Amino acid sequence: MIGTLERTQSMPRLLLLAQQTLLSIAALLMALHLAVYFVYAANLMAFPFDYDQGEGFELNDTVLLSQFQSPYRNNEVFPFYASNYPPLYHVILVPFAWLFGAEYWYGRLVSFLATLITAIAIGYAVQRATRQRLVATLSGCAYLASNYIYHIGPLFRQHISMVMFETLAVVTIATVSESERPRRLIALSLALLLAAGYTKQLAVATVAAVFIWLFLRGVRRAIAWAIPFAAIAGGIFLLIDWSTGGQWWLNVITANVNQYILGQYTGLLRQFIGLHGALLILAVLMVVYELYLDRLSVYSVWFVAAMLISVLAGKWGAGDSYFATAIAGTCILAGIFAGRTLNNAWRLPRSLSSIQRAMPVLGVVVCAAFVLYGAAVIKLPLDMPVFAQIGQILGVQSNTKFPHFYDSAGWTMGYAIIGQIPTAQDIANGWRIVEYAKADPRPILSEEAAFSFRSGKPVVTNPTQLLNLYNNNTPERTLYDPSTLIAMIEEQAFGVVILRREVGQTAILGFYPPPVLAAIERAYELREAIPMNGHEYTVLLPRPDWKKP
Amino acid sequence: MMGNSEKNVQSSDFVITKRTLGALLIALGALAFVAVLLLDALRGSFGDFGPTQLLALAGSLGACLLGLSLLPLGDRPA
Repeated sequence: MIGTLERTQSMPRLLLLAQQTLLSIAALLMALHLAVYFVYAANLMAFPFDYDQGEGFELNDTVLLSQFQSPYRNNEVFPFYASNYPPLYHVILVPFAWLFGAEYWYGRLVSFLATLITAIAIGYAVQRATRQRLVATLSGCAYLASNYIYHIGPLFRQHISMVMFETLAVVTIATVSESERPRRLIALSLALLLAAGYTKQLAVATVAAVFIWLFLRGVRRAIAWAIPFAAIAGGIFLLIDWSTGGQWWLNVITANVNQYILGQYTGLLRQFIGLHGALLILAVLMVVYELYLDRLSVYSVWFVAAMLISVLAGKWGAGDSYFATAIAGTCILAGIFAGRTLNNAWRLPRSLSSIQRAMPVLGVVVCAAFVLYGAAVIKLPLDMPVFAQIGQILGVQSNTKFPHFYDSAGWTMGYAIIGQIPTAQDIANGWRIVEYAKADPRPILSEEAAFSFRSGKPVVTNPTQLLNLYNNNTPERTLYDPSTLIAMIEEQAFGVVILRREVGQTAILGFYPPPVLAAIERAYELREAIPMNGHEYTVLLPRPDWKKP
Repeated sequence: MMGNSEKNVQSSDFVITKRTLGALLIALGALAFVAVLLLDALRGSFGDFGPTQLLALAGSLGACLLGLSLLPLGDRPA
């Protein structure tokens, strides 16, 4: 309170006014981003099909677990399906599957709630470190405002729940040095890390960051905690691998070793910096300050580790979501930097004491950074009331493949082509595809599981999983042999084949391994190409004149 | 009681200094640099670096330089 009074009295009124004005503008921008995010999430929850490729397979994992079946199966045996993710997210959803069956809304709702919990944890971390409530709120909202978090937040995907567990783990352990009960905090944090790792493998970077930070603060203690943690995490891993006859290792580890595309990573990195640059500068300054003038906080170590692991965004099949952890770390560090600047609470050496006098001006700069960030990450559905008017005021028009969606991110390889609100026509077209699936009693071969669920048929194949394993085959080692699936295709054992391609493409394209696609092209013919969500779903029916060789 | 014993354990624990952290970064950077070169040699295409390898080499050099900059900071806790 005294600090605030002093600050108010000593700071030129104009600078204080500038700070307050900028913070108010930032708050308005964040309110807009929140509104867009909530509307998007609500619309996605009502959408009955895959919105993002792969959602249906995560639903299938949930359904299998709810029936006490393992999702880590032999890909060479009907239904040629296995999951490539750890199970925790799907286990959490099992009670919903028992109550509501195979539905998309609850997975999307849980993911959406996970983003809100992460935002609250970010805000709490900044508030605890700075006592700047508005800055803390803006920091939490900044996480939700990111184009990347908006993209994947309300999806039936496990990634964002991993980020929630990671963030909670880091925020929990951050104050362990000042705590009266450090053991409890460490134990809780490590339990959350375990949860993060068994939600998605990528959490390994956060696990490393937390242990590196513990190591910096006390070598013996870090080792003492690392041994039981490794024993428990490794024990669970071995147990699952043993109980699935090695399918866990094959599908969760081996199948995730994909081709690396450097251009995809550098493109995404450029986009990431362009969108989050204003906050990134504050976060990097915070890391530099701690590295040279203070002790490293767990947030700084985490941020560096998250930036390093984001290199994996260049893997085939990866994308912008690989920056989500770095975004959470950025928001915390930027918030603490801003709060400290506004509090004039930096401890600087005598040689840098002149900076202290510039603090009111720096305060204006950090507030402006939040405004710049808020302006940089704008995305708007332009066909909805209020947002359409805001779009007109801002002078933005659709810059995406969707006629009514503006996304400041633009596009680069690996950036998911989603974010638009699904239309009634999209839903109607989805049901048209389902009618094809229902018209034939045989199972269907679909690149998206929704059409199987909606037609009451078994989910057959996880195409990207088969492709990844097939691509990793070597002359010495066969990870996936597609001959049984090809034989079924040649026998026309499937009533319909449903593949997805970009609008305007004419060839039979899909995620299946090339020999599988070739077999489909031989035994099936294109009946109709139905647009949905900006893609074209090719419906192929058995060729009447086909004779198996 | 548990809090006190934890504090005792902590106070007798070995804390990493800025200098030690610097030395560790130099060692890790050098190790990574050599590993990238070795891997390239083992593949039989020594000196023909692709962009990913160049990125890895630049990263390991960066770690060494960062470590060097920490050495003068002495015994302050990292």
